[in-house]
This record gives sequence, structure tokens and C-alpha cells, in this order.
Amino acid sequence: MMRILTRPGNLLILIIVILPVAVAAWMASAYPTVGAGPMLNLLGRLTGVMGMTMMLVAAVVSIRIPGLDQPFGGLTELWKVHHWLGGGAFLLVMAHPVLLALSAATLSPQAGASMLLPSSDATAIWIGWGALVAMMVFLAPTFSFFGAPHYQRWKGLHAISAVAVVLAFSHTIMLGRGLPVWFWWGLGALALVALTFRLVWRKANPGRRFRIEAVTPLADRVVEIALVPEDGKPFPYEAGQFVYLAPLDESLAAGRGEEHPYTIASAPQDGLLRIAIKDLGDASGALQKAKTGTQATVDGPYGRFFEPADAGPQLWFGGGIGITPFVGRARWMAAAGSSADVHLVYCANDPGRAYYLDEFHAIARAIPNFRVWPHYFREEGPLHASWVEARCKDAGSRSVYACGPGPMLDLVESISRELGVPASHYNSEEFDFL
Amino acid sequence: MKRFTWSAFVAFWASVITIVVLGALSPEPTGALASEPQLTREVTMDELAQHATESDCWMAIRGKVYDFSDYIPEHPTPPFIMVQWCGKEATEAYDTKGYGRPHSAMADAMLESYFVGILITD
Repeated sequence: MMRILTRPGNLLILIIVILPVAVAAWMASAYPTVGAGPMLNLLGRLTGVMGMTMMLVAAVVSIRIPGLDQPFGGLTELWKVHHWLGGGAFLLVMAHPVLLALSAATLSPQAGASMLLPSSDATAIWIGWGALVAMMVFLAPTFSFFGAPHYQRWKGLHAISAVAVVLAFSHTIMLGRGLPVWFWWGLGALALVALTFRLVWRKANPGRRFRIEAVTPLADRVVEIALVPEDGKPFPYEAGQFVYLAPLDESLAAGRGEEHPYTIASAPQDGLLRIAIKDLGDASGALQKAKTGTQATVDGPYGRFFEPADAGPQLWFGGGIGITPFVGRARWMAAAGSSADVHLVYCANDPGRAYYLDEFHAIARAIPNFRVWPHYFREEGPLHASWVEARCKDAGSRSVYACGPGPMLDLVESISRELGVPASHYNSEEFDFL
Repeated sequence: MKRFTWSAFVAFWASVITIVVLGALSPEPTGALASEPQLTREVTMDELAQHATESDCWMAIRGKVYDFSDYIPEHPTPPFIMVQWCGKEATEAYDTKGYGRPHSAMADAMLESYFVGILITD
């Protein structure tokens, strides 16, 4: 959490979110708020101001432009911020009508009820209800209200956020008082640009055209796909970044034209863009049988898993398909002749699932300070701190990078704490609906 | 965060239903003098104009006269905003609030507790 606040972009977001509600509270402090009714009314208004601000900022940061995610620590970090903003806005705009109704209820129970269900000509309030209900519809799958959703259905429902934002904005313009109107129009215009870019322009221009050059099976239900840009121009990226890939092959069983995020496994020096794909659902499953010569769109690169300046001793934990960013980084180190001091703990169920292990061993032979330690769950049980320390004596003084499934990341985080790794030296990435 | 948001979602609907049901079940406030015209006082424009100061402030809104003398210090604007309408017919000011926007349903409900009588214009 502290790491998030040190990013310049996130600090800016924090200021944009706090400043309006602070100004509104300061303006209100000039007038008396004596007793429960006026106090609840003030809180109701302030939750509205802050909820609306957070909703608009969440919309602004949902924009996806390669490079723009860097001041926020990468797209994954930026979307954590988006997630917190959206969740916070949702909680605040739910509190907003309840507080105002409780405030009115200090006059009479009828006044309280009529605040929530006013006469049919109170258009602004009904528009507010529309925004809140739209928010509940599109956020229900995000917060798994009715079970974990399917990725594409979640994405489709999330487009309703545009309706919620427009309705909430209209409600604010009609009823808001205190904060200058240009503030709302300014922030609203930014949100509109971001949503239009995301939901309209991006649909028409999904990314650059690439051609699939090779499909290499790595293990059961895991392939590496190599692509080249159709326009022949370079595609610059950093090791460990990811792209959104949408295959265009007509013969695919599922996922044609659907974009999904995949980590780049190749080094930036490689002429081909390689991505490792594990069968985790319909679309990634169909890609196991992707044909060479077919086309795909690629949008990216995004993310900032490795701190570019971090050249100190590192300890990597990769598990399952989460090994991919480390493959890219190790290949980059080998190609660049790096002498970085790296220990990699490769967590796999059994040797048959430790794809890329042979290549890691080859890289370890080429780079003196590069060590690889496979850990097989079926043979050795869950990973623990003493297992790591027995192989990497100075584990506690290294920067830790972890990528893998959620439970593995939880385990690695607690092991890192046990080893004495400061939180500021712990970096992890989990793909969860990005 | 998922569990917390779900709890807040459930708490929201529980609160909304409770407030609406309480509103529907509670008896009407007894102070609704407007529904008992035989007890209602009649206020002429001349009488209204005699209450035109901050400490003695009557206003006419939508045909009813209210005594806001005690309320002015609680109103969320500087006093002069309201005081300029004391002793006058102030429906338009009430309906536009200086921003072209009407007062809230809550303000409408508050009016009744300051009710004095109905305005006689002729």
C-alpha cells in the first residue's frame, strides 16, 4: 500500500480525490451545523461529492494507453487504484442517500422516506437512483455478489459503468451546490474522453496487427506463441511487461476477436514477440491450437513488474504460468550479458509442469550469479522459509519479485516477511481480470 | 474488500427499506395546519410586510406564510441571502435558490414547522 503512494501518478490521484471534499467541507464549515439533522445532511452531501469525484477519477484512469501506466507503477498497479476508487465510490454513493434520508427523518419519518422515494417530478433524485442501480448492476460481478463471473460477461457488464457515470454526473450538476460547476465539468470531460477512448475508439482500433509465426507446446495445455508485426516496424517493450492479444483466426473454437492479457516471455532484443499461454478458459484453451500464418491484434506493452533501476541482488518466485515474466527477464539478462545476482525459486507441482526449466538452467550456466531452485509441491509439500533460506542464505536482504496464482503469492509474501524482507522490497503481480 | 462491499450492499437495501417502511407506517405529523383550514390564520400583504427584519422575518412561499425568525441562523448560507426576502413574497427565490435550482424535499418538509397562515393577496 505504501509503495502505491510513492508513485507520482498515484499521489496526484490522491490529491484530486481529497481536495474537492476538503474544499466542500471547508465551505460548509462557514455555516452552522447544529444537531444531528444538519450534521447528517452535511455528511450526506460530502459523501456525494467524494463518491462522484472518485467515480470520475476511476473512469479517467480506466483509459489504457501504452506508456501512460508507467507513472502509476504499471497497468496492474493502476488498475488496483481504479479498483479501490470504484469500490470506494460505490460505498460512498450508497451512504449518500441513506445519510440524507436519515437527516430528513429528523423532521419526520415521512420526510425521510420522501427523500428516498420522492414524487415522480423530482427528476434529479430519480436520475441519482438510476446511477446507483446501474452501479450495482455493473459492480455486482466485480465484487462477486452472485458468484465469480466469466471474464467476457464481466467486461460486457462493466461497460454499463458509462451509463452510471453519465447519470451520476447529471444528478450532481442538477443538485450539487458549493463546489464550482467548472470543477465538475472539467473532471467530467476528462472522464468522457477516457470512456469514449476505451469503449468506442479502442473497439474500432484494437491494436497493431501481428502474424503468428510459430506455436510451440511447452507442456500439457501450455504453449508459447511467437508473433511478428505485420507492418515490419519494431515493437519496443521491457522484459516482464504484458500485452492484450486478440486472435483473428476464423477457425478458432472460441475467443476470436476477444482480447485477453498475456505476459511477454521474450527478451526485448528478440525479433519475435513471444507469449506463453496456459489453458485457463475458453479463449486461452482455443489458442493452444492456434495456427501459424493467422493474424492477431496486439495492444501494449503494459505493466512495470520489474523496477527498471533495480540492479541489486534479487530473489524471484515464479509459479505456474506466473513464471513467464521471469522467462522474459532471464532471456533479456542473457542477451544483454548481465551479471545481476539472481536466485529463482521455480514453484511447480512436479517436474512435468516445470516448463522453461531447461532454458533457466542454460541461462544459469551462462550467468555466474544466476541460480535456479525448482520446488515441486507434490514431492516437498508447500514452500516454507527454511527451504528458501537453505538455498539462498541472504534471502532476507534481497528484493523479492513474485508472480503466480493467488494462494502461492500469499504464501510467498508471508515467507518473505519471515525472512525479513522489507515490504518496500517485495513486488508481486497476479493477473485477476485485467 | 469483496465481503465488505457485499455487507455494505445488504446494509444499504436494509436501511432503504426500513426508512421507507417507517415513513409509510408512521402517522402524519400533527402540525399539518394547512389541512385544517378552519384553524388557519389569514395573513395580508400589509401584515407580511411588517415582519421584514432578520429578528422578525416572515415570508410567503406558494401561498403560505412562514415565520423564519428562528431559522435564519441555521440556514446554510450567510443570513443576508434570506433576510433580503423577509416581509415579501419569496416563492421564486425559494424555487431557484440563486442557482436556478429548487430546494430539496427535505426543505419542503422543514417549511411546515414554521407555518403561520395563508396569504391573502387581494
